[in-house]
Formats: sequence, structure tokens, C-alpha cells
Amino acid sequence: MALLSKSSKAAVSDPLMSNNPISLQVLGICSALAVTTKLDIAFVMTLAVIAVLCISNTVISLLRKMIPSKVRIIVQLSVIASMVILTDLILQAYMYDISKQLTVFVSLIITNCIIMGRAEAFAMQNGPWKSFLDGLGNGLGYGIILIVVAFFRELLGSGTVYGYKVVPEALYAAGYENMGLMVLSPGAFIILGLIVWAQRILGNVEEE
Amino acid sequence: MHSNRYTIIFTMLLTMVLAFALSSVYSSLEDQTERNIQADIKKNILSSLGFTPNANMPWTTENVETIFKNSITSIVVNESGDIVSGMLPEDIDPKVDKNVYPLYKKITNGKVDGFAIPISGKGLWGTMYGYFAIEPDGATAKGITFYKHIETPGLGAEVDKPWFQENYKGKKFVDENGLLIGIQTVKGKVDESSDEAYHQVDGISGATITSRGLNKFLLKDLEIYNPYLIQIRKSFNS
Amino acid sequence: MEHYLSLITKAVFVENILLAYFLGMCSFLAVSKKVDASIGLGFAVIFVLTITAPVNWFIYGYLLGDGALTWLGFPDVNLSFLKPIVFIAVIAAMVQLVEMVIDKFSPSLYQSLGIFLPLIAVNCSILGGSLFLVERNYTLMESVVFGFGSGLGWFLAIVAMASIRYRLRYSNVPAKLRGVGITMLLTGLISIAFMSFGGIQL
Repeated sequence: MALLSKSSKAAVSDPLMSNNPISLQVLGICSALAVTTKLDIAFVMTLAVIAVLCISNTVISLLRKMIPSKVRIIVQLSVIASMVILTDLILQAYMYDISKQLTVFVSLIITNCIIMGRAEAFAMQNGPWKSFLDGLGNGLGYGIILIVVAFFRELLGSGTVYGYKVVPEALYAAGYENMGLMVLSPGAFIILGLIVWAQRILGNVEEE
Repeated sequence: MHSNRYTIIFTMLLTMVLAFALSSVYSSLEDQTERNIQADIKKNILSSLGFTPNANMPWTTENVETIFKNSITSIVVNESGDIVSGMLPEDIDPKVDKNVYPLYKKITNGKVDGFAIPISGKGLWGTMYGYFAIEPDGATAKGITFYKHIETPGLGAEVDKPWFQENYKGKKFVDENGLLIGIQTVKGKVDESSDEAYHQVDGISGATITSRGLNKFLLKDLEIYNPYLIQIRKSFNS
Repeated sequence: MEHYLSLITKAVFVENILLAYFLGMCSFLAVSKKVDASIGLGFAVIFVLTITAPVNWFIYGYLLGDGALTWLGFPDVNLSFLKPIVFIAVIAAMVQLVEMVIDKFSPSLYQSLGIFLPLIAVNCSILGGSLFLVERNYTLMESVVFGFGSGLGWFLAIVAMASIRYRLRYSNVPAKLRGVGITMLLTGLISIAFMSFGGIQL
């Protein structure tokens, strides 16, 4: 099995566009909305999800032939939950400010449907390297949506990008005001809806 | 497929491995996390006293600890306004020590440049927590910050905004007879020509209950520290 | 009493666990296509949330929290880092219970809910509810009220969405917007409507 065979490359690239976990598989929406008020939070959340996805996919794939079928879901959940707790502990120790803003949403990665979904649908049936790549691909696909949503919400809602003021003072003086609604929940829903629409048009996806 | 005995052994082994991994990571990171939590509290005290982070001195845990060590003296006072010697705010155990309160002195160039006291009380939706800073005269506000509350964004949560907090600077919370009166929000903007303007700040429209709560608990906490502040005012004016 | 009233109002309207905190979206998106399934699932969520909140409160208070094991003679132990995994185990067990109850009393509802019943276990709103009550230091009574209120809020949101989607079934939604896209935009509008409750003073 070549290290980066065609199927391996597909495992990473498919979830980016044609099989994006958020917009097309419709998984993991909860955090896509909650942690996208600012780019730095969205970025850290993406890293956390990629880490958990890759590691739990690999571990579950390594164990797949040994897991007793009766406790399959419980074992998957335990591995995922432990990875999430580890990630949370590391964030609290080394990125305390961001972890404070993420609050319970790091723990809620456990219930992020993407992770359970990939574990059951892919890692249980495939080898560890491919599962790792699948985790990476889905994590990146998730991350792209998160970052795009966060970019718009932060730009329109606070006038900044990654904390740096981007909207010029002159515009504010002329009467422009930050769209506060973007930072609140309705803004998240609306932006995500529009992005899903855009991605389906660009990806030329079959309608439901 | 797999026998029951295998299932039991597998799950027990998995549990032990996971439990071991989690506990070891937790214990090794415990100290750093605790330092982060303490530094976070210190950040709030510092910002109420007018310190701000900048590009040269970003507020990492280490930097905050250094700034705090160099510029802040922490003491504990009791209800009579006497300093409880040998006690630090970290030593206060809420279950055991009653009627003792932390106080933070800002020291600049060897002289006392301000005090910070913790304030807390009920807003509209829950308890609000913050720090109130006082000038060396013991009668004028130096700053106010909030680090925890669940007020409504755009309404009660405007207390976090610079425009609201800036208005407190320079306002007096004692009257000309030395009586403690606190600082109150008014409806709309303060009428600067009024005699009462010296202890009033602009209100937040739509946040009546949050503001009322804030006025109340600010006064309540100032009353707790008033015995100590009376001594400060006396020695400042003499 | 007033305090609990304000807590419920907050949990149902102002801080609706779905419309303000985004929890429980996956099953919300999938089940809101049918009104009766939504009502059934909504009730199940209310039930599970109201039960798991106090149970997890006990577990955190007497097993996991800082100093919680004092009654066993271990005052210095802090197992709070285990709360996600323990809470989810409790939730999974409760959901199993609810499943058995529904299967006994209404097999048709059981059929129509299908895979979504066991999926309540990984519904972020249930785990989120328990995590929130720990973060906000609620008392036992507050936890029950909060759990019930959150469930009720989720129920309101999903039933509202299902009703709207039912009305929309003959509307001309652009092809690529159908499904997730339009539901997101609608949820955004409902969310704005619920925000108007933010001005309530009890």
C-alpha cells in the first residue's frame, strides 16, 4: 500500500469539498456555530477537532479487530471521550485564555457527530494509516467551514480579522457600525446557511 | 464472535489504560493550570488598577506573575479595618475564615498608588464579579472591571464596555461630610451641572435591573472596606 | 419562587439551548422534517434532560468535584476532569431507559423516531445541559429547573421549525438551498425572534 496512493489522497481531499462533513454530511454543526465568533477561537477549535479525529480514528482502527461487538459503541465513545479530555487538559495548561472562551465546547467535541460518525463508518473498516488520513481530511473539511464562518462573523461583527482591526477608522466616522447581530447566534445561523448554499452551488451537488 | 469473558477482560484493560493516561496527564498539568487560573484573577486586579497589556509585555502567565509581584502588595483586612498580619488573600478559606477580606495595593516607585477590592452581587440574571479600584485618597474611583457575569449582551453586558467603565474614573463615592454614598448610574446621561454629578455615571439604556443591582452591591462592598478606607482618608488628608 | 421562574424563562427563551447555544443541531435538522416526530423527540429530550441534570449534579457533587469525596475520607481529591466521560455514561444509560419505556408504551412513536432515539445520547444539548449546570454552580433545585427549561426550549425550537418546514413544503426554495441551507436561515430568523425576550424583567 503506497503511502500516498490515490485512495489515500482522496481520503484527505474528499471531505474538503465534495463530501464536507458540515455542509454535505451535515454533521458537527453545533460547534460550527458556537465557536466562530472570532478567528482565533475557531482556529484552536479546528486544531482540537483535527487532533481528536486523527488520534481516535487511528486508535480505533488499530483496535478494530479486537473490539468485542457487544461493546463497540461504548469502546469508541470511551476512546473519543478520553482524547477530548486530554485535549481539554492540554488547552487549559498551555492556552488558558482561549480555553476559557471555548468553555464547555471543547468537552462537547465528544458529542460532535463527525467523530463518532467517522469512527463507526471508516475506522472500524479500514487500516490505521488510511483512518488517520480520513480523520485529517474530515478535520480539515470541518476546519475550512469553521474558519470561513468565523472570518465573516468577526469581520462584520467586530471589524477585526484575527484580532487586528481591519475596518478603517474613516468608515466608522462616516457612520458605519459593526453588525452586532453577526456576533450573536442569529448571525451564525444565517452565515452558515449562506455558506452551505454557496458550497453546494460551487460543488455542483445533487439537491435533496 | 467474542466470548463474554473476552469482552470483560478487554473492557477492564481498556478502562485501566485510559484511566492511567488521563490521570497522569492531569497530575502533570495540574500545577500549570492552577497558575493560569491564579494569573487570570491577577489580570483582573491589574486591569482595574489601570495596567494594560501591550506588545512588549503581553499578559502571559509568567509576565502577569512578574508584574503582580513587582507592583502589587496583597493584604487582608477585617471588618474593623485592621490589617490581619501574616495573612494573604490566597490563605483565605471561605469555609473557615469569616469577616476577612482581601485588598490589593498598587505600589509605584515605592508609594501607594491605589487600592483594588473585589466586588460581587446580583445583576439581572445572576451574580456579577469584578474589581473596583480606588485612588490613594480613599474616596475617588480609579477604575472598575468585571470578569464574570451572565448579563444580556447589548444590555446589562455593556458593563464590560470601555465607555461604561471609563465614566467611573474620577468619581467620588463619599460626600463632603465624609459619608459613604457609593456611585450610582442615572437614566441616560449625567447632568454635569448638577450637584450630584460627582457620584453619578451614565446609565445603560435597557439595563435598569443590572444597573440597580450594580449600584447596590458596589455600595455594599464599599461598606465592608469602609473602616479601612476611613483610616486611609484620614492619613491622606492630614 | 421568582428566582426559579426567571431561571425557566431564561432557559426557554433568552438562553434557549438550541437557538442561543447551538446545542442539539444534528437531530434538530434531521427530525424537523416531520411535525409528529418532532413532538415525540422533543418530549423525549425534555424527559432525558430533566432526569440527567439532577443525577449528574449528584455525581459531580459527591464523586467528581473538588473535595467531593470528603464523605469517603478523601478531601483533597479532584476528579472533575472526568466529568465529560462520566456524564455521558450516565446519559447513555438514561437514554437506554427512555428507549425501553417508549417501546413499551408507544411502539409507533418508537418506529417513527427510529435511529434518533438512541442518538439523543450524543445530542450535544443533553451533555451540554449537565456541563452548564456544573459551570454555573447550580443547586439541586436549580439544576432540575434548568434541565426542564432547557428541554422545553429545545422542544419549542424543534416543533416551531417542523411547523414552518411543513408550511414551506410547497414553496419555491432554490434547489441548492433546500435542506440544510434554508433550515439554517430559518433558524436564524427564529433565533432573532427569541432574542426579543432578552428585554424581559421579572
